[in-house]
Formats: sequence, C-alpha cells, structure tokens
Amino acid sequence: MQENRISFDSPSFFARLKSMLSVDFYRLFHTPLFYIFLGIAAIIPAMLIGMTAMAGPNGEPATPLFTNVWQAIAADTPIYGFEGIDKYANMNMVFIFGGIMVSIFIGHDYKSGYVKQLFTTHAKKEDYLISKSLTCAFAMASMCIAYIIGSIVAGLFTQTSFSVNVYNLVCAVLGKMFMSLGWASLYTFLNVIFRRYFGISIASSFFFGTGILVIGVGSIIGNTPVLNLFLYGSSVFACLSSGFVNVLICFIASVSWAVVYNVVGSLVLYRSDVY
Amino acid sequence: MNAIEIRNLTKNFGEKQALKGLNMTVPAGSIYGFIGENGSGKSTTEKIICGLIHPSSGFVKLYGKDYTDADVRAKVGVLIESPGCFPNYSVWNNLMLQAYNLSIENPADEIRKVLTLVRMEGAAGNKYKNCSLGMKQRIGIAMALLGNPELLVLDEPINGLDADGMRIMREVLQDIAKSGRTVVVSSHILGELEKVATHYGIIRNGKMIREMTAQELNDSCRTFSRLKTENMQRAKSVLMSKYNRVEEDEKGYLRVYDLVKPEEIVRFLYSNGLIVSEIKTDKIGLEEYYIDLMSEKGVN
Repeated sequence: MQENRISFDSPSFFARLKSMLSVDFYRLFHTPLFYIFLGIAAIIPAMLIGMTAMAGPNGEPATPLFTNVWQAIAADTPIYGFEGIDKYANMNMVFIFGGIMVSIFIGHDYKSGYVKQLFTTHAKKEDYLISKSLTCAFAMASMCIAYIIGSIVAGLFTQTSFSVNVYNLVCAVLGKMFMSLGWASLYTFLNVIFRRYFGISIASSFFFGTGILVIGVGSIIGNTPVLNLFLYGSSVFACLSSGFVNVLICFIASVSWAVVYNVVGSLVLYRSDVY
Repeated sequence: MNAIEIRNLTKNFGEKQALKGLNMTVPAGSIYGFIGENGSGKSTTEKIICGLIHPSSGFVKLYGKDYTDADVRAKVGVLIESPGCFPNYSVWNNLMLQAYNLSIENPADEIRKVLTLVRMEGAAGNKYKNCSLGMKQRIGIAMALLGNPELLVLDEPINGLDADGMRIMREVLQDIAKSGRTVVVSSHILGELEKVATHYGIIRNGKMIREMTAQELNDSCRTFSRLKTENMQRAKSVLMSKYNRVEEDEKGYLRVYDLVKPEEIVRFLYSNGLIVSEIKTDKIGLEEYYIDLMSEKGVN
C-alpha cells in the first residue's frame, strides 16, 4: 500500500481555462462542421447579392436587393422592426447560423459522452462555459469574415457598387464581430439548459438568433435605443452609419450578456447533475 | 491513508432514493472490487465520486480532501459506463483531446505510453467508431490513465467483452495494479474481479452491506469437499442423511459443506457400499460468496 506521498497542485483559473480552450480549439479546427459553416456564411451574401442581380428568366432586368455591397453587411441605419428583407438580410444572419453551429458543437459533448471526460478532471463548470463561449465567439467572428469575403466576391462578379465611408464600415463590422461573444454565450447557455434535449437546443438557438422578439417589440414601439440593451438590438445598432459609440455599445452589451449567461449557466451546472 | 472515504451518502432522483446512507472506505493503493446487483447504486456512487452528479447528503473525500477540489480531481482517472469519445475522431485524436484537457506537457509521448499499456499501439489511427467493444473499453482505460492519475474509477470495464477481450483487460488491470495506483472497479463478472481485487465492497439497495479485504473474504469463504462416486444420486441421499448441507454443483460433483475431513466422508460412503473415485477440498469463490450473502435473510 502506498503511504501519504501524494502532492496536490491546485491548477490556477488561467491554467484550467488554457486546458479547456486547447480542447475546444482543437475540436473546432478538427471538425468539418466549422468549415461547413464558414462556407455557408460566405455563400449566403454571395447568393443574396448575386441572385438578386441576375436577369429574370425572360431577360427582363432584375431589381437587385442591394444597391451597394456593404448593405449586405449592415443596414444603412438601425432599424429594429421589420421593414423589408433588405434591411433584415445582413451579417446578423451569421448569428442565426452560428447558433445552429454552436448547438451542434456543444451538443456533441453530451451526445458522445465527452462531457464526462471534461467534468471528471480538474475542470470547473465556469471554465466550461467561458471556454465554449470564447471558442464559439471566435467561430462566429470567423463566419463574419467569411461573410464579408463572400459579399466582396459576389459584389465583384455582379459589379455592384462598393462606395462606402470606410470608418463607418469598419465600426459596423467591428460592432457585429464584438457581438459574437454575447451571442455565443447565449447559445452556450441554452445548450447547457437543454443539454439533454439536442433538438430543443437547436430550435431555441434558432428562435433567439432570429431576434424575432426584438423585431416584434421594435415593430410595435418603433425604433428606440432601449432595444440596444438586447443582443439583437445591439447587433442592429452596428449599422453603416456607425461610429465609435456604436462599437462601444456593442462591446458593452456583448460582454455584459456574456457575463450574465456565463454566471447563470455556471450556477445551473453547479446545481444540477452533469451527466 | 484512504483514497476514498464516503460517509452517509444519499442520492435522490425525484421520489426514488438511489443511495441510502452509503459508507465506503477505499485504502490507497488497493484494487477495490465494487459489487452489487443492477440498480443497487454502484454507478450512482461512482458518478458522485467522479463529480458528475451531486449527492443529496453526506460527504465524499478523496485523499482527505473534498471530492470537488480541482487539485484532487486532477488525480482521478475515470471510465464510467463507456468512454466519452467522438466517434468520427481517430483514437489518437480522442486521446489528444483528453491530454489537452489535462494539460499534459508531452502529450504524444504520454499517449504512446498508455496505448502500449492497453495493447492498442497499432490502433491509434483507427476511427473510434470502427473499434470493437473490447478496443473501446481499452481506449477508455487509456484515457483514464492519461495524466498518471493516483485513483482510477472503472465502471464495468469487462462487461460485454468476449473471452479474448476479457483476458487482455485482465492483463491490463493486473499491470495497473502493479503500478501502485488505487483502482475502484465494478463488475458483474466476479470470477474476473477475484483475480485482481485486494478489497471488496458489496452494495445492496443503496447501502454498503459488507466491506472486506481479499484475505478476509478468503477466511470467510466456506470450505467444502467435492467428490465423485459411481452412483451420484444414491451418494447424495446417503450423505444427506448425515451431513447438513450437500449439493450437486454445475459440473456434476457433490459438495459437502460441513466441516469434515475428506477421509471421514470416504469411510462413511464406503460403509454404505459406495466407492469414491475422486475427492478434494476447495473453497467457494467470490461469486458463490456473493450469491450466499445476497440470499441471506435480513441482508437488505
């Protein structure tokens, strides 16, 4: 029998997080899912710009959805309620598809039983949530870049206008990319809540990702900055007339919601059986 | 020092009480055979030890520390039910993930080492989903061994394996035992468990009904005489006229459980006109001890 010879080293929060991030990024880069969704993110704007610029079946001129390539990235001004597909169909769609990707990514942890390997080691519940949120935020931000590339390529093919105020465009893109963290945290949270019900995880992610609740409220009460308190509202606020304030608001909203979802998600995991 | 110390552990799943004040002590360095019927609470206890589910009350200490402490968790390797692996990843990639999870410094070296230990060196490139059940269980043990854990919790690692798979798994467990680690292993295949375990815990209806060392088990296992005659039926009725417990075993031998010398049995049968062709003394094994214990009245 062995005697009292075991030494215990308490891994720091950063050491634990580094381990968990290594696992999640390794998985992300080794799963075809990530590359498929990057492809989807690039194809969506290409189709929106390309197909609506094509001539009709009888050769009649088409009415392009966008008169400017960058309108596929963000609306000209923040419009929260529904005012036509061209105001709605922009880079915010990445957050819908990103939600499905996150659900599948996290769902596989539970479906395969891998979560057992994670939680039986030194990993803490908060490490899991933070790591998943950061990894999925990175994935969604990458999808945003793929979306921009798809838009540019389609714009070049269709010879759509590229004229833009670069500062406004950069602020809009940065704002939306910052929002990835908040969205990723929401989806991680939803997947933790519905961890035993894969279908509900995907459906709920899709439901919240569409921003239908904010769109509904926006349609009723009109455009009001109060809606920037919500993830979808802030995502809409990152528009082609954005400045530093828009970026800042997106950043604050995204980080605030990420903290809320990670704290509540950790509490849920601490109070419930993991597997 | 005890690797695991559990006191008054209860776990409720809604109305159902899976554990009812379980006490368990696993000495460090032991191979602890955890035995019980289906639904007796083995897996629930192991899942609590592994931090996957929360107890309703009671405490669990690993090496004297709370079982949720990150530093003590880093010393535990686990195989609960089946390994948690991604089916489309190779064996290597699955192990690599776990190596990252454990912050192992030289993951490739460590993975090669554990694959050798579980006799899977040549299968690293195989997709996990293409592996046989026996291979999957060994991959699970390899994952549990990563990071050089002090305590291994293995839930039913040999169930469902064929004879060859069971032999390999026994060799693997014996190699692990030699390394001085503490191993908690649950199984229904008591014959196999008996070959490796140094301590036993028998659980029933969510309560530990007996804990003992292999030596104590050996001491408390009843001795019997096993014999063969030309007329087994008559020999049985003759023996039953004198001895309290005479049974026929699955191989057709007669067993006399009373504490009596074999020569005496031979003489007694001879005096009744029966010639004994074969007789030897033996002890009941873990399986029979367990069945006897389970059939005892008042063991609940």
